[in-house]
Amino acid sequence: MLEYGFMQKAIAGGIIAAIACSLISFFVVVRRLAFVGMGISHAAFGGVAIGLALGINPIVTAGIFCSLVSLGIGVVSKKGRVHEDTAIGILFVSAMALGVLLVRVAHAYNIDLMSYLFGSILALGWGDVLALGITTLFSTLFTVLFFKELLFLAFDEETATASGVPSSVLFYGLLLTMAVLIVVSIKLLGIILVSALLVIPASVGMQIFKNYRGVIIASLSSAVVSVLIGLYLSWKFDLASGAAIVLVMFLIFAASFILSPRRRYMEGLVSRIGSARRTSPEKKMNS
Amino acid sequence: MRRSCKVAEFFDGKTEGLNLIRLEHVDVKLGGRTVLENINFSLEPGMFLGVIGPNGAGKTTLLRVILGFVRPSSGNVSVMGMSPSELKSELHHIGYMPQQVLFDRNFPVSVLDVVLMGRVCCIGLFKFPSREDRSAALESIKLVGLEGLENRQIGELSAGQQKRAFLARALCKETKILLLDEPTSGLDMPVQQQFMELLDRLKGNLNLSIVFVSHDVNVLARYADELACINRTMHIHGKPKEVLSSERLKEAYRCEFDFLVGQGRGGKTEANH
Repeated sequence: MLEYGFMQKAIAGGIIAAIACSLISFFVVVRRLAFVGMGISHAAFGGVAIGLALGINPIVTAGIFCSLVSLGIGVVSKKGRVHEDTAIGILFVSAMALGVLLVRVAHAYNIDLMSYLFGSILALGWGDVLALGITTLFSTLFTVLFFKELLFLAFDEETATASGVPSSVLFYGLLLTMAVLIVVSIKLLGIILVSALLVIPASVGMQIFKNYRGVIIASLSSAVVSVLIGLYLSWKFDLASGAAIVLVMFLIFAASFILSPRRRYMEGLVSRIGSARRTSPEKKMNS
Repeated sequence: MRRSCKVAEFFDGKTEGLNLIRLEHVDVKLGGRTVLENINFSLEPGMFLGVIGPNGAGKTTLLRVILGFVRPSSGNVSVMGMSPSELKSELHHIGYMPQQVLFDRNFPVSVLDVVLMGRVCCIGLFKFPSREDRSAALESIKLVGLEGLENRQIGELSAGQQKRAFLARALCKETKILLLDEPTSGLDMPVQQQFMELLDRLKGNLNLSIVFVSHDVNVLARYADELACINRTMHIHGKPKEVLSSERLKEAYRCEFDFLVGQGRGGKTEANH
């Protein structure tokens, strides 16, 4: 399948998106920003529709629009006048409603719109892969350079602030990074499914590991593996790429959930295997 | 380095007669409501100041004023000779323990990772913890008696052990002042006592100055050098014995003194005076 140009682009873009999103997904999960991710990604529909209506590249308009929405969510939740989930609930449906109206006005109910909604690997160009690469570079730099501060803030915001960590700047930075990553990953996964890449990978890691190092490694590898298997399945059986990737990711999550060392039945199993190992040399000695 | 200069200049070899923290006629309004009114107090090096007062008396706000989170509407605040805005570059001298750290039980960090967070202002932006930082963190873990648990996930520790881990985090820098917000709340009596004894020992060994906020008079009566009782404004400030025998304490809490102090009256305070 690698001889096809569109598959090369899809695989390159997919791996890049998986790396960037799974890294930020760690903070999305520990700071409980999953719904923020959903909100930003759905609001992208409004941004895409503006682009389609004005005849500008929809990814550019969606990028600007989603950045504004993410900052809006941040401001509202920081000021505390409206609960964060309420603010997201209001902003994302309004942005989608705007999208529906604009799409009608622009007569843009076509295949192009469908590819934004559900993702299409055929629509992915080298330009998109390049955009993904540049965004990934910046988002990875942001997460790596501010890792200890972001971790401190996620764990205990008050003490972090009292230790001089710039909490507001980093919170908005995190939201903006999420927004931009969501937008550049839309062509691959689609508006409806893209937030999965920000939530599921780290959730897999959290099921298996007790330390963030393990969680991040599991998050990265599960995301990359899901993208590769998903793309292969979508090529082999002519499935929608975004849906295939998300379902593979879900299956990996389900397996990690069932086999998690946190489950009580697994605790028993792990200790039984451990004791079997300890007793086996003695058995050998006796025989 | 400019950073330590100010603090060195402030101390200038002296250990006595300095006011590490000084609040003069401080008023604080939050959302149009007066939360603190005409607060005056000072903290000398090596002093353990207990701030008591009922729930909602403005005790946490007082700590936030010292840290520079909340700007007073009038009055002066000085910490180690600096205004709260200048203090931003000197936060590595202040250890803070908030009232409650609400984190997910499964939060994937070890005790060592949590204590290392305390060094965030020593490490600086864009840098990773060095071997020195790790050994400082391990040293703090040993100080609070959690050695052997450094690789445990923080959520697996008991409530008392978690509090000690947060104390280690507050000490894991060049701490001169400790600001503690109800650090013993939610602990049962024996664990509370253990924590207080540990704090008392560390205060002596590390030459710490402490502001300890609590609604529980009993906890502080035995260990504090001075007590300040606030309920919006400062009702009384002095040696524990004076404060506890004062009518004004009752006034602040608006209830009976015996009910408040209970068993704590016959503790270290009486024996010392």
